[in-house]
Amino acid sequence: MRDDERSTEFVAFTRAHRPDLVRTAALLCAGDEAFAEDVVQTTLTRLYLAWPRVRRADSALAYARRSLTHAFIDEARRAHRRRETTMAEPAAAGSEPVGPEADPALREVVLAALAALGPRQRAVVVLRHWHDLDVAETARILGCSPGTVKSQNARALAHLREHLGALDLALEVC
Amino acid sequence: MVPHDALTRALQSVADVERREVDPADDLARARSASRRRTRRRLRLGLTGVTAAVVLGLGASALLPADRVESPGVELVAERFEATPYTFDLTPRGWSVQGQRPSAVTIAPDDGSTSGNPDDFVGKLVILFDTNPPDGREIQRDGRDFWVSRDSDYTTLATATRGSEPSGVVRIQYPEDTGWDLGAMVAFLGSVHVGPGARHGFG
Repeated sequence: MRDDERSTEFVAFTRAHRPDLVRTAALLCAGDEAFAEDVVQTTLTRLYLAWPRVRRADSALAYARRSLTHAFIDEARRAHRRRETTMAEPAAAGSEPVGPEADPALREVVLAALAALGPRQRAVVVLRHWHDLDVAETARILGCSPGTVKSQNARALAHLREHLGALDLALEVC
Repeated sequence: MVPHDALTRALQSVADVERREVDPADDLARARSASRRRTRRRLRLGLTGVTAAVVLGLGASALLPADRVESPGVELVAERFEATPYTFDLTPRGWSVQGQRPSAVTIAPDDGSTSGNPDDFVGKLVILFDTNPPDGREIQRDGRDFWVSRDSDYTTLATATRGSEPSGVVRIQYPEDTGWDLGAMVAFLGSVHVGPGARHGFG
């Protein structure tokens, strides 16, 4: 594959899907925008290096999201100690919400709830409830068993319900 | 279940914030720089590998039917490498040992496209040693029996250890979207030697 062809395709992909990856990364990183940007940059570099594989994938975006999740877990493991302090005040780490239903109070509570989850639990929440992946696909991406995904998901949702219940979001976990 | 719209709204409050637009040219520049670094690194490793092949490869080449096995995306060359307690007579170009235990070896592509965790097998080659009976389609190569089975996007190839090795079954699981094919994998698995320090995993 020629280098200019790879670069053209990469730029087109990045232009189309970078915002999606950043939004996903922001969730994975519990609103730490700088960390999220690091993870996205790492992911895009990995995608470029493995571009022939990205092209062969059924869905380049799905491949990218999987790569993003791996990059996040790698980085979270390395950065865990360093970031503990900053994650203690997650609401201060992000930007202001936008859109007609922007709700700063909700954002603050959600950030705190996500920040209190472990990286893999957060990944389960994002993959299952943001990207709507099923248990089997989530397990495949995270390299664990479906049973582990189910238990992590149940614990994470119970935690979110506890935190978000005060906002009367009618979250119910069963 | 969590009502989908409530949870989605909660997650949206974090995901949908105002951000500055990033020029894809910046991402491309970073990626190209990483690509150049990788090329330089591979050139250095290649020179080291040639030296090692001169030392180790002559014996290995004499034993193998060919000194090179071509696969659509992966090249196996007759260079011996060790991931104690396992030894391989063939080396997959562009892949490196990421983790080794008495019951398993994880080999990952060098392009950084997979997790750095050796216990995460997604997108990697994994060599496993256990006592579970092999299953799947049976094939024979060079006087040995191999069993091939598929699950999702992965193929697993199994064979019994040689008489001089610890008794058990050695398997390779490989992802199908990374250029490996069955012929190359049979050759690779056939090149594995199980050393005395190997321990059975639970598979």
